[in-house]
Amino acid sequence: MQDSHIVSSFDRDLEGVQAQVMKMGGLVEKALLDAAEALELRDEALAGKVRAADQAIDGLEEMIQTECARIIAQRAPTASDLRTVLTVMRLATALERSGDYAKNLAKRSLVLMGMAPVGTATGTVRRMAKLVVQQMSDALDAYIARDAVRAREIRARDQEIDQMYSGLFRQLLTYMLEDPRTITACMHLHFIAKNIERVGDHATGIAEQVIYLVEGELPSDDRPKHDAVSESI
Amino acid sequence: MNDMRIADRAVDTHGIRIKASAVQVYYGESHAIKDVSVDILDKAVTAFIGPSGCGKSTFLRTLNRMNDTIPICKVQGSILLDGENIYDKRVDPVQLRAKVGMVFQKPNPFPKSIYDNVAYGPRIHGLTRSKAELDGIVESSLRKAALWNEVKDRLHAPGTGLSGGQQQRLCIARAVATSPEVLLMDEPCSALDPIATAQVEELIDELRSNFSVVIVTHSMQQAARVSQKTAFFHLGNLVEYGETSQIFTNPKDPRTESYITGRIG
Repeated sequence: MQDSHIVSSFDRDLEGVQAQVMKMGGLVEKALLDAAEALELRDEALAGKVRAADQAIDGLEEMIQTECARIIAQRAPTASDLRTVLTVMRLATALERSGDYAKNLAKRSLVLMGMAPVGTATGTVRRMAKLVVQQMSDALDAYIARDAVRAREIRARDQEIDQMYSGLFRQLLTYMLEDPRTITACMHLHFIAKNIERVGDHATGIAEQVIYLVEGELPSDDRPKHDAVSESI
Repeated sequence: MNDMRIADRAVDTHGIRIKASAVQVYYGESHAIKDVSVDILDKAVTAFIGPSGCGKSTFLRTLNRMNDTIPICKVQGSILLDGENIYDKRVDPVQLRAKVGMVFQKPNPFPKSIYDNVAYGPRIHGLTRSKAELDGIVESSLRKAALWNEVKDRLHAPGTGLSGGQQQRLCIARAVATSPEVLLMDEPCSALDPIATAQVEELIDELRSNFSVVIVTHSMQQAARVSQKTAFFHLGNLVEYGETSQIFTNPKDPRTESYITGRIG
C-alpha cells in the first residue's frame, strides 16, 4: 500500500489529529508524574499546577473529537483510515480520563498534606505511577509505530500494576486496623491507588486499540488477571 | 459474532444464484478478465468496485451475455445461473436477458408511453394473456420501482418526459416487469442528483427481498451503503470478494486498501 493519499489534504487532516493526540499523551504523562511527586514530597505548588493543567488536556480532547467528527463527515474514511480516526477518538477519551485521575490525585494529595504521613504508602504510590506512565508511554509509542507485537506485550504487563495495587490495598488495610486515626488518610491513598490502577487499564485499552488499528480486530483472548483484592476482602 | 449483528445485514443465509468459475474474457488480443471465480448470492446486493478499465463492467456484462454483441469478444469458463451454464448452445440469449435484467448508467426509456415502456418486455415474451393481466404487471412493476404514485395518472404520457431520476426508476420498472431472477445495474445513479440517487438506493434495498442485485459503481460510498457483498476488481483480476462491512473496515488485500482509501486510482 502506498503511504499517501491522492488527496494530500486528507493526509494533513490525519496527521493533524494524530499529532494532537500525542501532545495530549505527553501532557497526561507529565501530570501523572508531577502529581505523584507532589504527593510524596508534599509539594503544594506542584499539586496546584497539576490541577490547573488539566484544563489544557480537556481542551485538546474536545478539539480532537471535533476534528475527528469533521474528518468522518467530510472525508468518509474507510479501512485503515477509518480505524485510525476511531482509534484517535478512543485514545483521546482514554487520555482525558487519565488526565482527570491525575487531577484527582493532586486534589487528594493537597488534602493529605494537612495530615500526618502514613507509613511508606506515598512512595509505593509514586512507584506505581511511574510504572503506569511507562505503560502509557509504551502504548503510545506502539501506536505511533503501529506495532501490534509490542502492544500485546504491554497488555500482558498490566498484571504488575494490578499486583502493586493489591499489595498497597493490603498495606492500607493493615494501617487502618492498627490505628483507626489513619482511616481518612488511608481512604484517600486508596482512592489514589485505585485511580492509578485505572490509568493502567486505560493504557491497556490504548494497547488494545493499537492491535485493532493494525489487525482490524480487538484481541479476543482474555488477558492474564491476578486480582488478590477479592481474596483480601 | 453472527448472533450479535445490530442491523439486518446478514447475507450468509441465502443460497448461490450465479456461480462463475474461471471466467476469462478477451477483446481480440487483450485479456480483459483473468480467471475470475465468484458466487453471487440470492436476495442480496453485490457491488463491483474498481478503477476505470478494471473489468468490472465487462464482467457484469458476461452475466447476461451482453458481450455477445461485440464480435471480437471471447468468453471462457463457466457461468451457472441456478446450476445451468448460460453459455450453453441451447440457451437463448433473449430468454436469458428476461431472467437477468439490466439497468444502464443513463436512463434510456423507449420513446413510448410510460405504460408501453413497462409492458414491452411482458408483451414480447408473451408473459400475459389479457389486458387486465398486463395492467396488473405494469402497476406492480411501477410499484416495485417506487414510481407508481408519481405516474399513475399519466401512464400514457411519454416516458421521456419524466425527470432523470424518474426515468431511471422507469427503466428499473421495465427491467423487473419480466420477473427476472437477477438484476444487473451498471452505474445506475451516476447521472442522477443526490435525492434521485437516494431514491434509487432505497429501491435497490427493497428489490433485494425479491431479486439478486449486482451493481457496478464508481462511488465507493454507494457500494458501502447499498451492498452486502463487495467485489474489488483491479487490472482484470478479482482481487478481493467479501462482506461489504469487512471490505470497508478491514480489507485483507493491500490493493483493496489502497483503492478504497484513495491511495491508487
